[in-house]
Amino acid sequence: MSHQQYVRNFSIIAHIDHGKTTLSDRLLELTGTISARERREQLLDAMDLEREKGITIKAKAVCMRYTAPDGQAYTYNLIDCPGHVDFTYEVSRALAACEGALLVVDAAQGIEAQTLANVYLALEHDLVIIPVINKIDLPGANPEQVAEEIEHVIGIGREDIILASAKAGTGVPAILEAIAERIPSPRGQVDDATRALIFDSHYDAYKGVIAYVRVVDGMFPADTRVQFLGTKAQADILEVGVFRPAMTPLEQLSAGDVGYIATGLKTVEDCQVGDTITLAERPANKALPGYRPAKAMVFAGLYPIDSNAYTDLREALEKLKLNDAALSFEPESSSALGFGFRCGFLGLLHMEIVRERLEREYQLELLITAPSVEYQVLQTDGEIVAVDNPSTLPSPNIIASIEEPMMHISVIAPSRYIGAIMELVTTRRGSLDTMDYLDPQRVLLKYYIPLAELVIDFYDQLKSRTQGYASLDYALSGYQEANLVRLDILVNGQPVDALSMIVHRDSAYNRGRELVARLVKIIPRQMFEVPIQAAVGSKIIARETVRAMRKDVLSKCYGGDVSRKRKLLEKQKEGKKRMKMVGNVEIPQEAFMAILSLDGKDS
Amino acid sequence: MGQPQHLYIHIPFCHHRCCYCDFVTYAGMEDRIEAYVAAVCRELAMLAQIGHGTPACFRAPLRPSIFFGGGTPSLLSPAQIERIIATAEQVLPLADAEISLEVNPGSFLGTGLREQGRTARHYFGKLAQMGINRLSLGVQTLHDPTLRVIGRQHTAMEARQCYDAARRVGFAQISLDMMFGLPGQTLAQWQADLEEIIAWQPEHLSVYSLILEERAPLYQQVAQGALALPDDDTSAMMYEMTLEQLATAGYVGYEISNWARIDSVAGLDTRCQHNLAYWLNSDYLAAGAAAHGHIFPARYANLAQIDTYIAEVSANRRPVETWVHLNQADGCAETMMMGLRLHTGVRYDHFQQRCGCALDAVYGGVLERLVAQGLLERDEHAVWLTYRGRMIGNQVFMQFLESGSKGSMAIPLRDSA
Repeated sequence: MSHQQYVRNFSIIAHIDHGKTTLSDRLLELTGTISARERREQLLDAMDLEREKGITIKAKAVCMRYTAPDGQAYTYNLIDCPGHVDFTYEVSRALAACEGALLVVDAAQGIEAQTLANVYLALEHDLVIIPVINKIDLPGANPEQVAEEIEHVIGIGREDIILASAKAGTGVPAILEAIAERIPSPRGQVDDATRALIFDSHYDAYKGVIAYVRVVDGMFPADTRVQFLGTKAQADILEVGVFRPAMTPLEQLSAGDVGYIATGLKTVEDCQVGDTITLAERPANKALPGYRPAKAMVFAGLYPIDSNAYTDLREALEKLKLNDAALSFEPESSSALGFGFRCGFLGLLHMEIVRERLEREYQLELLITAPSVEYQVLQTDGEIVAVDNPSTLPSPNIIASIEEPMMHISVIAPSRYIGAIMELVTTRRGSLDTMDYLDPQRVLLKYYIPLAELVIDFYDQLKSRTQGYASLDYALSGYQEANLVRLDILVNGQPVDALSMIVHRDSAYNRGRELVARLVKIIPRQMFEVPIQAAVGSKIIARETVRAMRKDVLSKCYGGDVSRKRKLLEKQKEGKKRMKMVGNVEIPQEAFMAILSLDGKDS
Repeated sequence: MGQPQHLYIHIPFCHHRCCYCDFVTYAGMEDRIEAYVAAVCRELAMLAQIGHGTPACFRAPLRPSIFFGGGTPSLLSPAQIERIIATAEQVLPLADAEISLEVNPGSFLGTGLREQGRTARHYFGKLAQMGINRLSLGVQTLHDPTLRVIGRQHTAMEARQCYDAARRVGFAQISLDMMFGLPGQTLAQWQADLEEIIAWQPEHLSVYSLILEERAPLYQQVAQGALALPDDDTSAMMYEMTLEQLATAGYVGYEISNWARIDSVAGLDTRCQHNLAYWLNSDYLAAGAAAHGHIFPARYANLAQIDTYIAEVSANRRPVETWVHLNQADGCAETMMMGLRLHTGVRYDHFQQRCGCALDAVYGGVLERLVAQGLLERDEHAVWLTYRGRMIGNQVFMQFLESGSKGSMAIPLRDSA
């Protein structure tokens, strides 16, 4: 018990750019975990991509030693959690590993939607919240108003809020003291059957899957066999330890500790976030609550530009999958795009990250189709099929009904944008749930909206219509029946499967017209006239024509510089090669993403 | 092995850079001209000493030629031109040679020139004495506001006077460089340009469609929306109008962008011998900064910077920056890419002689497809572009380039500092 008494496990909840990383670095410095000199910029965000996007994709945990003013030594475990809504489940598991959380709010910006959502998650897990108003030294800071907002929205009194400037170091000692004073110590049962919560994992080429764990009860010796209660996998532990911040092996991890277990497993699929690890010899009979296997929400086809790279793409996806249990993929083929993979993602950011990693780390050139969601289709024969690719929607005469995933979204924005937000949501088939004023200027709007409408450009539209002020959070609320049809696009009379989409019957005509109008601009003139049509079933609802190319000939004389003429032609030919041949029409890659930016931009 | 038959000389100086231009030329470096001319002569002497040979199969049935291109060759003094021609005589045979010089009508403007006797008429008279027998005048357009927009320093009136002076001096071969697809240019303006130049009765016309080059200032102006170019359809109509009106006026469009008078009965043929050497994929030498030559089995490019070029030649080294070695496939591709630009197309015997293999053995399938698409026509002697093929020539030419080939290896001889 005495061991746990001086352990504090906590996390930091903050919106992007509100100063989480800077504050983490200060805590590490002040506790001597790292020196200012050896501090790599933004230490906790190790992956390039994370640093570039300014977000934390994967949770990490750092173990610090803190000595209180009264001389008492503490072990602080800071569990970093992702800051994006795509990773809400990971956040909930990271929070479940803590007893407390620092809520960091920018003194000029106030609380944002995702922050609020994460605070509610923390409160669900009975975490003690220590509110910190950060960046108080910046011009435009209004700590008083933000304090009021915190008091009003979260119900934490003014006297409990710490004012800080992580950058200047102001308030950081007070935060360290508050962690010891306010956050309760873990209360695990050392003698019970051993159980630990996995809140993250990554694949290490030497040690196999490294599980990031919070030991709840019992104890893990450094060399024992463990069992995963959810996936049923077993493994021999290679090593246990903590991050200081480098991996530091220990003799054991026991109740209350946060650290890692090197499992030697080959894939993170066997070691999923939220699962419970126990000892194989004396397994616990009850798993920790809250485990659910990763579930993809958004689906898209990934195709190599160069069809010879199909095998490379498969191998790259397999490698990424080792480290990303949420990524799913299976082979699919498209008459327009050839052979590729249907991939499932947690959300759009996750999709973007996977695509960028494939292109950057595996040097693959990819074509990605417009994202789709998974529909539940009830057929007239009573069978229910899941459809995540519009081109595989059963023929209309055997469809009894279609249900689509619905999201419950929260938008926080200055109240002057209510009209603009309402308009956007209404055109996207959303309906208002509640509207609450956080303070006289800021409003929290909750809506139900089909996920399919959310994945197409919704966030960008929301940002542009609110001049960047709105923040968004979302969660799956269930499935709902809707009058949906498949919109097909025909190029030169041939349907292009990769351009099909499932839309509401009422918006099919407008969507079809917009898409056709965009495609006519994107598809370059060919040697012949090319009609572009939109159709629902056999009915053509829109048509435009890409006129035939009239003139395309290099006329300039390059003074005998034949190589230059040749290079220009080669470049032009290379450009053609990057297009996809559908029938005898060359379609550029942007065309397959045109669906994404349909929102009256051209109308 | 015979002597090389064709020589290009690059004169990379301009008083002012036109905003559509991305050729290698420098404004405000006219103080280097004298040293540059000396360097060109020195390079020519080196070429003479090396004595490049041109096998008969790489010679087209053409008269020998020298072409002074730029930049602005008309910035050179007659004496400087005389020196270059005199040195060139060691390199190639000049009897019966076509010796062309590009002239900017703006070269005779500016204070003091007239006092120095540098009028167009006086200058052209001197050129004729030096052996220049063909002038290529950079008229571009006769619409003054458009001339200003594209940064030309002369007016339409000055171009007319320039042409007139060349005629009066007695030049029998005058070519005009014209451009369409210029910023703000309308069909009506282009029609007026065509009508007027036809009335001048030049022996030869080069008509280019403006190409927006990324490195030229015009690119930015168009990208930022400050200037608008005619759309694709208008530009196509301008080209169609050119084809039609010049044909009506009796010119033969013997190449995509070039028109001449050809009358075999009267023994008339005003085609540019020098450019024909390019289209027939013959060998040609090149001298001067940034000049490009083609000597079997390689193409070469000279150093582009004037001072580097001068320094290299002064150190008695050849000022070549890159050699590109051409293999047989390159030779085949380039023979087609260039040859199909001619209205006579590519003759099978020429291809066989030039490339060492039969045209159909290399490109039989491609030809068949392009003929079926109505882009090429052929008979027992040659293959050539149809009218439609001429309009979209790039779509045809690129079929002869190997897909995905890296081209030939470029060998940088030194850092292009």
